Amino acid sequence: MKLEKKSPIYLDFNATSPIASEIAENIGPVLAAWGNPSSIHWAGQQTKKIIREARLSLAKALNISPLEIVFTSGGSEANNTVLLSVFEKNQGSNRNQFITSAIEHPSVLKTLEKLEGKGAIVHRIEINSAGELNWTHFKKVLGPQTALVSMMLANNETGLILPIEEITRLSHAAGAQVHTDAVQALGKIPVDLEQLKVDYASFSAHKFYALKGCGFLFSRKGNDLQALILGGGQERHRRSGTENTVGIWAMGKVAERALEIPLQAERLQVLRDQMEKKIKIEITSVQVNHQKNNRLPNTSSLVIAGVDGETLLMSLDVKGFAVSTGAACSSGNPEPNPVLLSLGLSREEAQASLRVSFGWTTTADQVQDFVEALKSVVIRLRELQDLNISEAQA
Amino acid sequence: MMANLINGRKPRVLVAMSGGVDSSVAAGLLVRQGYEVIGATMQVWDYSSCEIDEGNGTCCSSLDVDDARSVADRLGISFYVLNCEAKFKAAVIDPFLKAYLEGQTPLPCVNCNTYLKFDHLIRKMKELECDYLATGHYAQIIEDENGKPRIFTSEDDWKDQTYFLFTIEPEVVKHLLFPIGHLKKPQVREMAVEMNLANAQKKDSQGICFVGNQGYGKFIESQVDHKILASKAGWLRRFPSGEKMAQHSGIHLFTYGQSKGLGMDHHEKLFVLKIETDTNTVWVGDEQYLYRNDVEVIDPHLIDEVKDGEILDVKIRYSHKGSAAQIFKTENGFRLKFLEPQRAVTPGQAAVMYRNKQLLGGGWISL
Repeated sequence: MKLEKKSPIYLDFNATSPIASEIAENIGPVLAAWGNPSSIHWAGQQTKKIIREARLSLAKALNISPLEIVFTSGGSEANNTVLLSVFEKNQGSNRNQFITSAIEHPSVLKTLEKLEGKGAIVHRIEINSAGELNWTHFKKVLGPQTALVSMMLANNETGLILPIEEITRLSHAAGAQVHTDAVQALGKIPVDLEQLKVDYASFSAHKFYALKGCGFLFSRKGNDLQALILGGGQERHRRSGTENTVGIWAMGKVAERALEIPLQAERLQVLRDQMEKKIKIEITSVQVNHQKNNRLPNTSSLVIAGVDGETLLMSLDVKGFAVSTGAACSSGNPEPNPVLLSLGLSREEAQASLRVSFGWTTTADQVQDFVEALKSVVIRLRELQDLNISEAQA
Repeated sequence: MMANLINGRKPRVLVAMSGGVDSSVAAGLLVRQGYEVIGATMQVWDYSSCEIDEGNGTCCSSLDVDDARSVADRLGISFYVLNCEAKFKAAVIDPFLKAYLEGQTPLPCVNCNTYLKFDHLIRKMKELECDYLATGHYAQIIEDENGKPRIFTSEDDWKDQTYFLFTIEPEVVKHLLFPIGHLKKPQVREMAVEMNLANAQKKDSQGICFVGNQGYGKFIESQVDHKILASKAGWLRRFPSGEKMAQHSGIHLFTYGQSKGLGMDHHEKLFVLKIETDTNTVWVGDEQYLYRNDVEVIDPHLIDEVKDGEILDVKIRYSHKGSAAQIFKTENGFRLKFLEPQRAVTPGQAAVMYRNKQLLGGGWISL
């Protein structure tokens, strides 16, 4: 029993998504198939079939070949695998440099930091305050020495979409491979890997209505992917370890709904844009990050002047609304998301910014309730803030 | 004792939860009494450098925070971790270090109460639309005949913590709840067991939370530049002869009344009588010189009225049982004239005044 949470409203789909109803409804027979997919007998055959069907479903949704999918424990493992594999393969060659953006997920940035310690050269391309990639820098460092360009498809915080097609075109022209962290994109916008032409892409199940602890890596045919985890040789020796059958099945199940994605994107964009418009009218001094940029249709990143992010989050939570701020960790002095710093926000503003992210189950009524709650909380917090200031002055 | 409804709704209370038994039971009692309870833990110190078994290996969590969270889960209340590290450093740690380097023995718990619990959390209480702030302090709020709430000592004399509460602002008292103040520690533990709280058998915290087992000397050395510490070295001198007894490596290593670990090879038992900061001299001598009747108190803070010349019960350190003293107001605070001489009156500690167990206020001992 939590306070006032009679009908809690979840607007934090970029953190994770609820599990699609068809998973709960159909999971029984999948749990009943418990065999080891590597076994030759009937028990193993049952689970092997489940994995094969899920792979087909995902491949169809992303317009790729089934064997280009390597199942992993999630997006972080997929990112680690690609970067370490490319580093390993190119060690000692002249093509040994990496290019990435300054706004990547920590699983990319931290891995590249580690590789730098092992001698890799890494170029980090900034995003300017208008949300544009510094093309001059990118083109300057891109060349015959570039092994891999790794840039995210969509940013988790503001929803900014990077021009991966153009990045890929230029990179391929220079003979470099391209990896995109597409964790935040799948389920929110159509993702066609054939059209993007990237060589690698990372995905995480729990961001698109499937289960946590599961994900996959797209590795284009012909890539000599070096395994991060060695062992029994599952996933064609690209990722060992007995497969997470249930998690894989769930991803395949949700992928059957890929055709709904453009419809949802359209619907959520309308809701999101209406919400931002309303918030700007009803609450003064609000900035919407990357509002004019190409961004995810479900995501809204707001800087609300004069309000502490931690308090805002707690006040909304007490009223039953789940949203998040620009810093993932509630203690310490967590690093603000670099994309917010790229906008020229101060550390405090970045930590205080509010992220609202919609999903397939979000309704217009929920959004309306949220705007009302936000308005009342912000007004009250600002009044208290003014009171504190006048007390301090007195 | 059930909570009184406010405008027909349950009163809402923010409870400060440290992860210890006292604040956990406090939260549990409030739930039983029918309050809407929100739990909060102030993250006050950087745990990132902790060992795995001390912190618990995650980026934002110490074992204490985990304990508080598990209690909140058990009680079914909302729970938040508040990031107070910067504030804690500025308001508690820095003044703590400064005091030792100035020859004083600081009382960091009072600063934590002044600037974090009864300021920052009072602000959070208002922001979260709570009616009350509750803590697990051993202290009681009792209304006087006019219905005005006043702070009194705990039923448990041994655990009473009102000594640390003298800087509470009078207008805040009406928002405070001390749910365990009428209980004794063994009863609190029994209740923790009865409530099936995971931390029911957890040991009482000892000493200063951020210093831990290493001792305050090691803590200071870990936080202060070694050049600054080296500049605090000087002589141990005998009072009243002035004889130089030995060299010492820093005034921060001494406290008034100390007799062990003086670093002298001497046949008599000698005590630290005074720390002189301008010359870094630590005066030592016979125990008789430790006693005094007159104490100068500065930066006073009053919760209730005190009459000039009144005789009150005054505590000069947490473990002090209290002793009668006459109060004289001065320009910077007040002067205490104890009826009985007091041992080792220590600058940096507080003098806290009581009238029939009611906390009236206090100030800082400057000698």
